[in-house]
Amino acid sequence: MRSALLIASKDLLRSVRDRSVIMLAIVAPLGLAFILSTVLGNADSGSLHVRFAVVDQDKGPVASTFVNGALRSLAEHGIATIDRQPSVAAATRMARDGSVAAAFILPAGLSRAVQSGRGARLSVVTDPGSVIGSQIAASVARGYATELNAVRLSIATAASLRGEQPTRSQIAQLRRRAAATEMPGVVSQTRVGSREFDTKTFFAAGMAVFFLFFTTQMGAVSLLRERSEGTLARLLAAPLSRASVVAGKALFTFVLGVGSMAVLVVASKFLMGARWGNPAGVGALIVAGVFAAMGVQSLVTTLARTDAQAAGYGSIVGVTLGLLGGTFFPLSQAPGFISRLSFFTPHAWLMRGFGELSGGVAGLSDVVPSLAALLAFGAVTGTVALVRSKTIVAA
Amino acid sequence: MKVLTIAAMNLKRLTRDRIALFFVFVFPMILILLIGVSFGGDFTPRLGVVFRGGGGFGDELVRSITAQPGLDVQRFDNKSSLVDGVERGMVDAAVVVPAAYDDALRSGRQAQIAFVAHPGDLSTALRTSVDSVVAGQAARVRAARLGASYGGVTFQEALTRAGTVATTLPGVDVAVTSAGGGADQASFGRFDLGAASQLVLFVFLNSVAGSVALIQSRQLGMLRRMLSTPLSARTVLLGEAAGRFGIALVQGAFIVFASALLFGVRWGDPPAAAALVVAFSLVATGAAVLFGSILSNEHQAAALTPLGLALAALGGCMVPLEIFSPTMKKIAHLTPHAWAIEGFTALIRRHASLAAVMPQLGVLVAFAVVLLAAASWRLRRAIVG
Repeated sequence: MRSALLIASKDLLRSVRDRSVIMLAIVAPLGLAFILSTVLGNADSGSLHVRFAVVDQDKGPVASTFVNGALRSLAEHGIATIDRQPSVAAATRMARDGSVAAAFILPAGLSRAVQSGRGARLSVVTDPGSVIGSQIAASVARGYATELNAVRLSIATAASLRGEQPTRSQIAQLRRRAAATEMPGVVSQTRVGSREFDTKTFFAAGMAVFFLFFTTQMGAVSLLRERSEGTLARLLAAPLSRASVVAGKALFTFVLGVGSMAVLVVASKFLMGARWGNPAGVGALIVAGVFAAMGVQSLVTTLARTDAQAAGYGSIVGVTLGLLGGTFFPLSQAPGFISRLSFFTPHAWLMRGFGELSGGVAGLSDVVPSLAALLAFGAVTGTVALVRSKTIVAA
Repeated sequence: MKVLTIAAMNLKRLTRDRIALFFVFVFPMILILLIGVSFGGDFTPRLGVVFRGGGGFGDELVRSITAQPGLDVQRFDNKSSLVDGVERGMVDAAVVVPAAYDDALRSGRQAQIAFVAHPGDLSTALRTSVDSVVAGQAARVRAARLGASYGGVTFQEALTRAGTVATTLPGVDVAVTSAGGGADQASFGRFDLGAASQLVLFVFLNSVAGSVALIQSRQLGMLRRMLSTPLSARTVLLGEAAGRFGIALVQGAFIVFASALLFGVRWGDPPAAAALVVAFSLVATGAAVLFGSILSNEHQAAALTPLGLALAALGGCMVPLEIFSPTMKKIAHLTPHAWAIEGFTALIRRHASLAAVMPQLGVLVAFAVVLLAAASWRLRRAIVG
């Protein structure tokens, strides 16, 4: 036991002195999480900004209500810049070359058609290169058309119930009343989140989990390197049991994994404002996650002959499982079979557990399924790896 | 000729390395497939609905939502199981219709309908469907409320009349067309932009990761030994650069052709697409040779993969540049990635020609010239001393 501790502490000391370990275990995940959440965090805070063109050929009240109402409110909320264009051709050209996300065309005679109860059409010409801006433009225009139709229906219904054609001033009065009617039903967006990540915490957790599978391969890989450099043979020549060599390497990896995760949790909390939730739950997940990652990556390492090959296999497994396990983008938006497939990766269980906790309401008992799955992964792969490690140490 | 031999040796080193082959050829395709399937929006969105009350308007609302085309609607018993369903990804979003919905609408009050979605979900399609159904019903209720007070009849009578009037009233509608001609959105393959982003991400990432080979050659003294032969330093430099360039080009071409064959990605104007691939491969080569000549050992090179990922994220390979804030957009354009993606987007979605992507090509070539010049200067110093 003492010799295992000695081996572990020697390896730890070496890895702390070696900047590449700090780089891989701490700096890279933290830096990437920071960049990703800065770039993608916009989606949450709604700092989306697009440019729209509008062509008012109508010059009547219906068009001006649209431009000064709906479009101005987009501009005032900082969502869009509105660019008035004199001709359809100019606006279409801007949409085609991507200088605006969409162009609204309000045709001549629109107000007259709307007021006299005839059919009318607004056009939206979208930039084919814009995915989100064009969706917003279409939905703004449809919303306005829906409102116009609702007011018209109100006037027509009222007139029909009176059984007489209303006068111009009556129509104007009805229009004001109809437009002022309170919406009977409003749709308000509520976000789930009591058991789900915010963007910052998602990337902090995702990158920590992703890189954990690289950090936890170091012990097993160093065993292979010691073999090729001949230091393993010398270790075994000393009065040391094989088990204590393997135990030392395992202990080193475990401490390195737990230590780097703990640093990442604390650093992302203070530097990025990530919210991890219940400390006991996070601690248990880290321990179980490191155990699972060690098992999987040690098993992968025993399949390789050289340390370079092992690192290569390790990155294939780490990157593929990381991707499938939802460390780079949330799998909640993926179709069902990918979500189901993801539960064959330890990453998905670890992310699910962290996600539950980050909302702040879940405690240790809520992450029991994740803990059980992670321990099972670690136990199965770790046992196979231990059995196979005999061949490495024996050689 | 000797340049080609050195270049060919570099390519051969790649083909011997099965792990590198996985990351150069197989992995990008897996990612294109996964992202296309996850975010392509080709699958039917699933919407959860909770409505525990009774009454005409609530039932009608749920019926109309269910009847919306292209939606898979699932009923849930209560709000907590529904929120759980959204969180676990069983449905993409959900609607909670209050139990007193019918009562509120009939008695002139306002009802709150909750739309439950993921944070950061940019898709507005589901929300738009729900909004349009709610607004359609609201139009009749508003007409009935006004009609009842104006015509002096009951709400129910006015509602029936509004229903009749609605069928004969010509409407105001909205035509959405794409400036590129053709229908909006639907005509684009779901793999198209994903494939372009992955090409940019992986050509750069694998090139800089490949600089390890150059570091090893330097460490082993291979390059200095090559100088003891009648090879000039210039030939050695060109050969090493040509090797990295060849690998980047082969990978880029592979992603273009394989994604076109497997996923039906249309890359747009062939000469323009080829020019972008070549220009970006040159940029990646410049970066690879530069890193290969300034880093002193393989451990330092381990930092290049995170660096490549970070540049890709900043350059818009992971989320569309469109949703970047104006400041982030400016920062993004400090990376060659953003320019390449802009070029590919123009080709794929706007059917742009070679002339139209000249600005992007120009910037990429400038990146390549600067990086290659710096790289050859550093490498020459590293091997000649």
